[in-house]
Amino acid sequence: MSSGVTQRGSRTPRRPRYLPLHVLLAFLVVYFLVPFWWLIVNSSKSSAGLFGGGNALWFSDDIDYGENFRQLFTYGGGIYRRWLLNSALYAVAGGVGATVLAVLAGYGFAKYRFAGRRLAFAILLGAVMVPTTALVIPTFILFAKIDLTNTVWAVILPTWLNPFGVYLMHVYARDAVPDELLDAARVDGAGEFRTFLRIALPLMRPAIITVLLLSIVASWNNYFLPLAMLSDNRLFPVTVGIGLWQSTASTYGAAGGQSLWSIIILGSLISVVPLIVAFLTLQRYWQGGLSLGSLK
Amino acid sequence: MTLSLTPSTSTAHPVRAARRRAPARRKNLAGWLFVAPFGIVFVTMLILPLGYALYLSLFRRALIGGTRLVWFDNYVKAFNDPSFREGVSFVIRFSLVLIPVQMAISLAVALMLDLMVNRFARFSRLMIFMPYAIPAVIGALMWGFLYSKNFGPLADISSLVGADAPDFLGSKLIFWGLFNVVTWQWAGYYMIILFAALQGIDPSLYEAARMDGASQWQIALRIKIPLVAPALLLILVFALIGTLQFFNEPKILQPLAAGALPEDFTPNMYAYEQAFNLANYNYGSAISFSLGAVVFVCVYLFLFATRKRGSFLS
Amino acid sequence: MLSGCGGGDDDSAADGAGTASAGAGGGGGGKAANCTNKVRNEQAPVVTMWAWYPNMEKVVDNFNSQNDDVQICWTNAGAGPDEYEKFQTAVSAGSGAPDVVMLEADRIPTFQVQDALVDLKGLGYEDVKANFSDGAWKDVSVGDGVFGAPVDGGPMGMIYRKDVFDKYGITPPKTWDEYEAAAQKVKDAGGPLFGDFPANQPAYVTALLYQNGAQPFNYSPSDGGTIGIDLDSEAVKQVLDYWAGLTSKGLVGKQDQFTPEYISGVIGGDYATYLSAAWAPGYLQGAGVGTGDDKGVWATAPLPQWDPSNPVQVNWGGSAFSVTKQADNPELAAKVAFGVYADDASLEEGWKNQIIFPLSLKVLNDPAFIDYKVPFFNGQQANKEVYVPAANGYQGMTYTPIGQYFYTAFTKQIAAINEGKASGSEAADALQKDVEGYAKEQGFTVQ
Repeated sequence: MSSGVTQRGSRTPRRPRYLPLHVLLAFLVVYFLVPFWWLIVNSSKSSAGLFGGGNALWFSDDIDYGENFRQLFTYGGGIYRRWLLNSALYAVAGGVGATVLAVLAGYGFAKYRFAGRRLAFAILLGAVMVPTTALVIPTFILFAKIDLTNTVWAVILPTWLNPFGVYLMHVYARDAVPDELLDAARVDGAGEFRTFLRIALPLMRPAIITVLLLSIVASWNNYFLPLAMLSDNRLFPVTVGIGLWQSTASTYGAAGGQSLWSIIILGSLISVVPLIVAFLTLQRYWQGGLSLGSLK
Repeated sequence: MTLSLTPSTSTAHPVRAARRRAPARRKNLAGWLFVAPFGIVFVTMLILPLGYALYLSLFRRALIGGTRLVWFDNYVKAFNDPSFREGVSFVIRFSLVLIPVQMAISLAVALMLDLMVNRFARFSRLMIFMPYAIPAVIGALMWGFLYSKNFGPLADISSLVGADAPDFLGSKLIFWGLFNVVTWQWAGYYMIILFAALQGIDPSLYEAARMDGASQWQIALRIKIPLVAPALLLILVFALIGTLQFFNEPKILQPLAAGALPEDFTPNMYAYEQAFNLANYNYGSAISFSLGAVVFVCVYLFLFATRKRGSFLS
Repeated sequence: MLSGCGGGDDDSAADGAGTASAGAGGGGGGKAANCTNKVRNEQAPVVTMWAWYPNMEKVVDNFNSQNDDVQICWTNAGAGPDEYEKFQTAVSAGSGAPDVVMLEADRIPTFQVQDALVDLKGLGYEDVKANFSDGAWKDVSVGDGVFGAPVDGGPMGMIYRKDVFDKYGITPPKTWDEYEAAAQKVKDAGGPLFGDFPANQPAYVTALLYQNGAQPFNYSPSDGGTIGIDLDSEAVKQVLDYWAGLTSKGLVGKQDQFTPEYISGVIGGDYATYLSAAWAPGYLQGAGVGTGDDKGVWATAPLPQWDPSNPVQVNWGGSAFSVTKQADNPELAAKVAFGVYADDASLEEGWKNQIIFPLSLKVLNDPAFIDYKVPFFNGQQANKEVYVPAANGYQGMTYTPIGQYFYTAFTKQIAAINEGKASGSEAADALQKDVEGYAKEQGFTVQ
């Protein structure tokens, strides 16, 4: 499926009559990129440059990435670096956990007609509709009872719940893993789990990468769960950390004699780089994978 | 809410007879074992908290006088609460405007990109998708600055034509301010899904149509759109669910626009305010469940209206 | 929440038993394991603390190096509302709160009514009573109990642009009538907005109500929670109508404050005055005000009055340290609450950098503080001329447990005024109805 995207790249020759479409597309690209451009430009400015009335979409006279960098990584004892590492931990532990569970469950739902399967699957689909904010409240209380709040687990465990990932894996496994191959392996005497590892897993790779990427994005971008669960700022992921700086910058008396907006903007820029790089380098996989669940 | 969904969806399908073979029992067990790890997380991270929230929602708590069991009074209260009703009314209106426009943009761009195969199109595809990778916190931060009347580009553009900059964070235009942020963030994601679905269509269908003299327009309308309808339906349902639960963007923009975005702006924000700021988990939970009911009804109505109930849940 | 009152205490008591021995070892949910600061004496018992003063790390280090029998483990759990949200969640859950928490005075009754705070009477209050004014103590008291150790306050004044005032030939207005006249004069001459009426700062507007003699609240926790709500009095309506008039005439802005938008406006000279508290220069400088073209143009004057023969001083903001019911050792926590940010070095660091306006009488009576020439105000002796008199004249306010709801409701009404949907009087009536309804629903007897 994924390779289909790139293979058919040379299908249609370019035609001049698409020129208006190109212009339209160029406009759209500008619209979607303006905020990124703003981020890049403004992370070079001091607060005087930010608010002093210069052009918001162009550099001011003194481009000072260096000073902003230094401040960003030294402010509050260099806490920003720690936030980045926390985000990486939550994203990887949360994303990998969610993906492993989704792969196993999706395969189970797709390839086994076990008792209660339909009911379980229907409940699973219903779960997609549950507002995650509604879960944060009771989950917090339950975690507090077992002393799990304000630990890394309070952020990681809830992100393992990814019903949509299970649904995607189910659809993919159902279509891309032929029963005949599995049966053949079983006839050869392979156990169920071994069959899964040897036969199904390689076939499911594009879907796995897609679900992994989506889960990692969801964890990396998560805001309200860690905000509610963590009170120790040294456990914050970078989203909540930047949120903390924003609220510090907007609360009287909290920022003291230091301007935070410059490092908030540079910190935002740096925090989005890893995901953008991941998407760009892995595009071969996820672009096809995202159509999962919609083809049938 | 999850449980109530079960009968209505599963009864729509004929129960397929399970194959009865010798290793059936072994496979039955294996199936459960594959599903079990997720099942454990599902129960502990979803069913348990939801059950607990449901339990909480049956009590009423006052700062003075403590907590008492009131059964479903909180729900009666919620549906009569102007804050909740106006919030629901807002998210429904917002959905009705946002989703069609967002879908139209995503579909139009996907069709364009499907037609144009060159480096610029590939580049555009990635760039339009990119906002999806941005945390909502940072997206809102960027747009908050860009909306600024004092130092944003809108101010520069408006001063060129001698007008006052529009205030997208004021109460009159906040609808469109949010509309823009959400569209920016999600249109690319939906576009990629539709694009991938379009790429999955067998090209020989187009050849046949072309031989019959069909234009690209007709091919798009008669072949492409019908064939990606399931994908369209899927993302419509997700967009609907997401928009009715609208929370992140208004909550994050709130420090910049407190006047235009009160704490009860959307039902989810209202639930959050009740739970986390007013210490009323009970009423907050009741609002969450009431919203869940609204979401369920809306989604079911939508699926019923499109008469495609089966395809999404197959 | 069932565990809101009785159950919560049992839980935390049990936690205390579990973690007391673990203490500095960092067992029991990482109580002492995650401090932002360094704990110097690892053997001493540890008191955990949330606070967001920007110089908190230094302040905590000062305390830890001066005290061997107790050490502070501090973290910044968020500034202002973010921290209250977290603390509220921890209170509801019955665990997860620190031993000592920084609260603005107006938040104290909200947590006190949930039985989340420890009465400091008998825990060291008597020893430091003489260090603070009666107004300062009133703000942290609920009924007969004292639920916070005062640290800083926000006596109010009128910060203004000297260059703008000079340009349009005006002097600092002494009354609100003069304020409006000056605003009109500046506007007629094509000058900037004179001030701002922000929907997101209900605490500030509440201070303006008090200044006109309004007493919007009365609260007595003893007789089962009786609240007097008087938000539709003539005094309230006069203030709100006055500001509604200023905004509708376009004399002042309607911009939310503490936003980049507002700051850029302040830097750009869009506002001739900024009615604010003594901590404002620190905030403004942090946001870049007074560092560029607008360096040296700022000055401050007393707040305009309704009745200049009978001036009323008001306060906006200021925080205290409260001991939470979840503290393992309330005596020790109280020692920290009273002791941290009370030593000379920390206080001087705080006021010299204009991070805080201390309430400690020791500082308020110190000539070095009174005569200090504030650089932001171009050497003006702002404390002597404006803020110390304002602090000395301040009588305290009455805060209630429904403060959070009141602020939310007030924000809506200020927004309605700014949108022209309601007059000041209409907003006052609507506010009274809204807040009264909530108070009744929460089980209070409303007078």
